[in-house]
Amino acid sequence: MRHPTDGTLRRLLDEPAGVADADREHVAGCPACLSGLAAARADAAVAAGALSTEVTTDVDAAWQRLTAGTAPSRPAVPAAPRRRWRAALRSPVIAAAGVVVLLAGAGAAAAADWLPIFRTERIAPVQLTQADLVALPDLSAYGDLRIASEPNVRPVAGASTAAQLTGLAVPRVGELPRGVTGEPTYQVGDRVTAVFTFSAAKAAQTATAAGTTLPTPPAGLDGSQFRLTAGPGMAAVWSEARGVPALVVARAVAPAAYSSGVPFTEARDYLLKLPGLPEDVAAQLRAFSGDGKTLPLPVNSRYLTSSSAEVGGKPATVLTSRDGVLAGVVWADAGVITAVAGSLSADEVLSVARELR
Amino acid sequence: MAPAARRVERGGAPVRADLEQVFRAAYARVVGVAARVLGSRDEAEDVAQEVFLSFGRTAVPAAEAPGWLSVAAAHTALNHLRSGRRRAAREGRAGDGLTVCPDVADAVVTLDERRRVRAALARLPRKHAVALVLRHSGLSYAEVAAALDLSPGGVGTTVRRAESALREELNRHASSD
Repeated sequence: MRHPTDGTLRRLLDEPAGVADADREHVAGCPACLSGLAAARADAAVAAGALSTEVTTDVDAAWQRLTAGTAPSRPAVPAAPRRRWRAALRSPVIAAAGVVVLLAGAGAAAAADWLPIFRTERIAPVQLTQADLVALPDLSAYGDLRIASEPNVRPVAGASTAAQLTGLAVPRVGELPRGVTGEPTYQVGDRVTAVFTFSAAKAAQTATAAGTTLPTPPAGLDGSQFRLTAGPGMAAVWSEARGVPALVVARAVAPAAYSSGVPFTEARDYLLKLPGLPEDVAAQLRAFSGDGKTLPLPVNSRYLTSSSAEVGGKPATVLTSRDGVLAGVVWADAGVITAVAGSLSADEVLSVARELR
Repeated sequence: MAPAARRVERGGAPVRADLEQVFRAAYARVVGVAARVLGSRDEAEDVAQEVFLSFGRTAVPAAEAPGWLSVAAAHTALNHLRSGRRRAAREGRAGDGLTVCPDVADAVVTLDERRRVRAALARLPRKHAVALVLRHSGLSYAEVAAALDLSPGGVGTTVRRAESALREELNRHASSD
């Protein structure tokens, strides 16, 4: 069969559904096309980085300007919150699902009976640069990742409904920080479940396309399945007039990975060696996932800085945007993750976190 | 609504009645497209004003407005790049709302990055640059295809070539800096 064009490979990255089945199947089994796909993905990532922009606009002021037909002068507006944060704040459960994808790199182990091998009891930040994030291995290159249930994040009427739907105790804020007023809106998300089936053949193909050789997998790994779950979760959101959350308090059942038999350490070390994972990131994962109780929390060091704190006697990670506009704190307690974040200072989010009831 | 719309007149030309509605729905997107090209919110908002003034004098059907506005924003922003006007002023004005830099070194790096991206975009064939910017502004392949009179397959090819050229331009300038 002829190779699909570069344009088809490029579309496969953005809109796989828009590519003919025959082309998709060809690409999956063709080292030359996989290599072309990897090159397209790398160039697309460079372009996305070069063209990324974080702009907030004041539509009312702009409309005034248009109708007045005036010159450029605009009143000063507050610094624009980072869109990545805004997106994460709006969908805390989705963010948790994103963490699951990272976990899969460290948590994939072995077959038949599901045994919890990875339970989140502590959170440690990993400093990842944007390049590392882009380079994290796409799981589809190592097997089949099937999303068994989607988060379906949706607004609900109030705290009691959120508690009922998620089975979680809804955290109550003691005293709102200055500048945050009114009643929150509540959102819930269902449990996310994904099943990853490791394929030695696919992994070998990916390794070949990358110009390397796949290390011999541990016995029993090929074809084995791993179940990854996160949630359910809920969030209480206090919004500013412009729709940017001023304060978000979110809680979700921590991500967990289930597997069987094969020792966790063995499978983890093997997976960490797979082509595509930058060595420094692999080393970090190796360092703190040894106890199987630590959640690797990807931190984009270009936008965020992280530090340690304590909330209710549990170790917590404080994240602050480099522009100083947003801060958040995340901690895990008995398999439940709680996060407080907003357009606030680190001290303010910590104070809210410590006074949650 | 209507009295406000009637005030938007330049040279006595009548403006369309649905301008405010379209403006409010599409303003952020138009600014976003222009900001990707220009790397500056202030200048992107200037471009958006120009684009909506032009749009107000057209009879483009409302359903086609988002595509029309996005293409117009990309072209107008690229025109700004090529004319080079305001660039000196912009570069003298760090942290113009896009980014609040914690220190001077970061500000310098950011400005330099923006300068290189703008220069690279200016050197791309116009259609490639527009397709690239529209795709990275979140338009679907079908929307980009309709806006640029390409087939969806052609969009993939054009975007791929543009990304490859952009990466080469950025690499070349990174290594020669």
